[in-house]
Amino acid sequence: MRIAVVLGFLFAGAYLVAVLEARLATGRLRLAAPGWAAMALLGRESVVPRQPDRLFFETAPALLLIAALLAAAVLPLAPGLFITNLATGALFVNAALAYVLVALLMAGWGPDGAYALIGGWRFLGQLIAYSMLIVMPITAVAMRAESLLTTDIVASQTGLWNILYQPLGFVLFFIAAMGVAFLPPFDLPSAEGELAGGVTSEYTGVRLAVFRLGRLVLVITLSAATVVFYLGGWLGPVLPPWAWSAVKILAVSATMLLIGHYLPRIREAHLLAWCWKLGIPLALLNIFIVGVMVLVWP
Amino acid sequence: MAVITLQTFFIALFGIAALWFGVVVFRTSSMMRSALALLFSQTALGAMFLAMQAEFLGVLQIMMMATEMSIMAIFMVMFMMDPGGLGEMDMTHQKRLSIAAGVIGALAVSGVALFAHWGPTATVAPAAAEQIRGLGTELLGRSMIIFETAGVTILTAMIAATAVAMPVLQRKKTS
Amino acid sequence: MIAGARAGTVSGLRRLTAAAMARDLHAIIVPGPEVARARGLDIESAGLQIAATPRHANVLLLVGPVPRELGDAVIVLYAQMMRPRAIFSLGASATPSPLPHADVTADLSQSGLLDGVTRLRSAFSRGAFRLGVSDFDAPALQIRIEYTCPMHPEVVQDQPGSCPKCGMNLVPREASASAEPHHGAEHATPPEYTCPMHPEIVQGEPGSCPKCGMNLVPREAGSADEHAQGHQDADMDHGDMGFMSMVEVTKDLPRSPDGLPMDWIEVPFGPFFPGLPGGLLLTLTLDGDGIAKARAQSLVGGSGALPASGMGAADFVEHLSASDPLAPICYRLLACRTLEAAAGQAPDEEILRGRIAAMERERIASHLGWLALFARQIGFGWLLRRAASLQLQFLHADIKQVMALSPALQALIKRLQRTPLLKSRTAGIGRMVPDTVLRGPVARATGVGDDARSRDKTCSTLGFTAVSRDRGDALARLHVRLDETRHSLALIKAAGAIVLPTPVDIGVISGKGEAAVETPRGEARLQLTLDNGRVIDARLDTPSTHHLDLVAPLLEQQELGDGLTTVASLDLSPWEVVQ
Repeated sequence: MRIAVVLGFLFAGAYLVAVLEARLATGRLRLAAPGWAAMALLGRESVVPRQPDRLFFETAPALLLIAALLAAAVLPLAPGLFITNLATGALFVNAALAYVLVALLMAGWGPDGAYALIGGWRFLGQLIAYSMLIVMPITAVAMRAESLLTTDIVASQTGLWNILYQPLGFVLFFIAAMGVAFLPPFDLPSAEGELAGGVTSEYTGVRLAVFRLGRLVLVITLSAATVVFYLGGWLGPVLPPWAWSAVKILAVSATMLLIGHYLPRIREAHLLAWCWKLGIPLALLNIFIVGVMVLVWP
Repeated sequence: MAVITLQTFFIALFGIAALWFGVVVFRTSSMMRSALALLFSQTALGAMFLAMQAEFLGVLQIMMMATEMSIMAIFMVMFMMDPGGLGEMDMTHQKRLSIAAGVIGALAVSGVALFAHWGPTATVAPAAAEQIRGLGTELLGRSMIIFETAGVTILTAMIAATAVAMPVLQRKKTS
Repeated sequence: MIAGARAGTVSGLRRLTAAAMARDLHAIIVPGPEVARARGLDIESAGLQIAATPRHANVLLLVGPVPRELGDAVIVLYAQMMRPRAIFSLGASATPSPLPHADVTADLSQSGLLDGVTRLRSAFSRGAFRLGVSDFDAPALQIRIEYTCPMHPEVVQDQPGSCPKCGMNLVPREASASAEPHHGAEHATPPEYTCPMHPEIVQGEPGSCPKCGMNLVPREAGSADEHAQGHQDADMDHGDMGFMSMVEVTKDLPRSPDGLPMDWIEVPFGPFFPGLPGGLLLTLTLDGDGIAKARAQSLVGGSGALPASGMGAADFVEHLSASDPLAPICYRLLACRTLEAAAGQAPDEEILRGRIAAMERERIASHLGWLALFARQIGFGWLLRRAASLQLQFLHADIKQVMALSPALQALIKRLQRTPLLKSRTAGIGRMVPDTVLRGPVARATGVGDDARSRDKTCSTLGFTAVSRDRGDALARLHVRLDETRHSLALIKAAGAIVLPTPVDIGVISGKGEAAVETPRGEARLQLTLDNGRVIDARLDTPSTHHLDLVAPLLEQQELGDGLTTVASLDLSPWEVVQ
């Protein structure tokens, strides 16, 4: 039951993200559009390109979806409303997200297409940029909560949300989260104007539908992670906890999409340079500041 | 008893999966398949840790290997001229030496496993949160010097490797 | 009914799916969205989404007749689309053979488009599934399997076998059936025999070495020096380890400056690539994601050329104007001016001013169209939508509408100057130095203030000044175009009215004339020879012809994304390329 509620929540969120994405792309708000699009994809042919690495080609979309769902499994939407509450929750989010990379590499390698291949390897470069900026801010969050349990992390923000307690960590994590979900301006692996869709360029029909669903769930998962780690999770006055989670998660997703709409795609070399030369020192500084604060105001 | 049996079953399952993926690494000519087979072999090991109730270790293993093996994959693809394995090139060489090294290694590891004194067996694994706390205390106590040394060594190696690869320094060397 | 229906009975669920498809139309546009917009079509407001790849499209939208040179490419495009798929043709009823006939045809206008989309939707909901569909096949889709060595890409043969250089099994690869087959160049060279220990021993037949008695080994003739050199290195590195050495097998491969021998792949970008103008084909040899070699060609160039039989003067004006859908007014003006020069006539000042306003309006629309294309390539969603919608509004605006749109355009320009990441995305990319072959905004971005309008008296009286920037990179080109857009607004305001160029009656004259027009892409020149009122010789010189030749050297060693940004920043029009 609990699992069904969480999954229903994730898919509903994914649907709303798809509505917003379509709104930004076409300029019109049509609530039914993603539903029709999904149904149309299911009715369309789905072919395997010539000379594929078939195993990878078939696995990749499913793996992307599974990785996003696994990461979401440890994120609580309300007290008691989670799929599982692992003692290593914050670390587990990372572990699951790491398989997003594996899925994209498979999707890039599988179809034997140049655009897809370049897209897949580009994402590997992107991982080198964002991965430290996911792990290090989470470390600072866990330091304050003195626990890796995601429920403890939310509870630790009762007095003051982490976005105010460690704003630097929030900014870094937010940017890195957009990188994980390859949202614009970090859509290097799926760039439309540079790679004609990149990793998605050879997927069609039902496989494309699964891939897109996985990507949408990933956006929701990362928004949920941002909410749990920095925006006080379900905490908030008046509304019931689950409603607060829902509002915050959708707000974070919408912000991510809107930012990307108003920016050109980043250059891969700059992404790496900025993440390593600026991002990682700042993340270390954040850990240091949080460390001092935890000791001074326990 | 039933729980222990189930646990044993999963440990065995993941162990066999790890071995099988390990074999796949050498049975394919595609560099990408080889690298990802190694990844899934290591992931199966991580799952085995999870089945053994070593949660932190398991999750850490699963997390680290995904990125590490993917990065290895790109190096394998870059350096091998036939990364897709389409030319069915034989990639094995020095077979006798490697078989000998493998057998000796396996014997040595089994020997250590069988004959080392492992101390008293714990009847119940500590809770996951407790394990993390214990691990942290260990890392910042007795084992600190070992980890710090290893860390600094790796850092030194990274800096040295980068320095060697820098074109400016290479040009100086040749001129 | 649609010709590209998917096989299947029409059951309840399928009916629902078909209804969904009718509401979810993704079009791949031939020759490209920029041509559709330049012709005044607002594809997205008509309810068609623009797909990036044929794999994701279900509508093949043909804007105008398909140029003959694009025929095969369109057939391949159609074959890559997933069923159910439909062909929607605007302004032409014929499709390149052997494509099926267009499922829906309509006029080349916005109302035609809207009407066509409605019919397309009902065609999908009624005929997306059908029994007894047949496979689509065409000669352009035939492929030939050839065999090549993964290590030695120069080894190509028609039969499987092993590589004469390293002994590896050759791997099959697909090649287009129409491409020139390679005929065993490798086998043509007779082998020669040499001693592994004494490379100086070379003879025509097998035998043993006079120095050490070892059996001689075969090798390819004509590579003696290279081999001798390589052999010694290999000897030192590997001794007799008895396995295939990567150093040895890769030593003849071309290397990029980073020294790492990687698989080079040749990838086509175009002629219908999302971030490039339609009809432009870039063939990039990629070394990882770096560009090792580039080749750029226009598949649709030369459409402005004069037929051998010559042409009537008035027909020629229409012909030249239609040759470049991206700048029809400028080419119409060029033809008119040249004819007038040949006749020695000049229209009155008011018409001249009006023509300049028309040219400047086209410049604004063209630069906005370029911005939209550039935005699509660099993934800037907001700019794509904003620039495209402004372009459509400017395209046929009269002077009042231009003035009314002016604040919106100024706001767009201001906003672009403040957009984060845009500067870092374009600064330093595709840097060029001043060169006489450069024209238009590309030249002016290198600090050269050359502009055909400076030589035009009417332009000068309207207060024209040429803009220039001096960094010569993609950012400078962007700024030059933005500045020009602003100047164009001022010129239109000063001119006071927009008059489309129409040829004055030159009568039945013979003689020569020449003129130049500063098109949005740079100065285009035309020389005409007339004989009794007929154009018998035309020499056209266009900016994109020169810029296209610069692409290859400019792209080498750039990262793929940067290379594509460079090409886009040149604002090439494949249509005006003279072949």
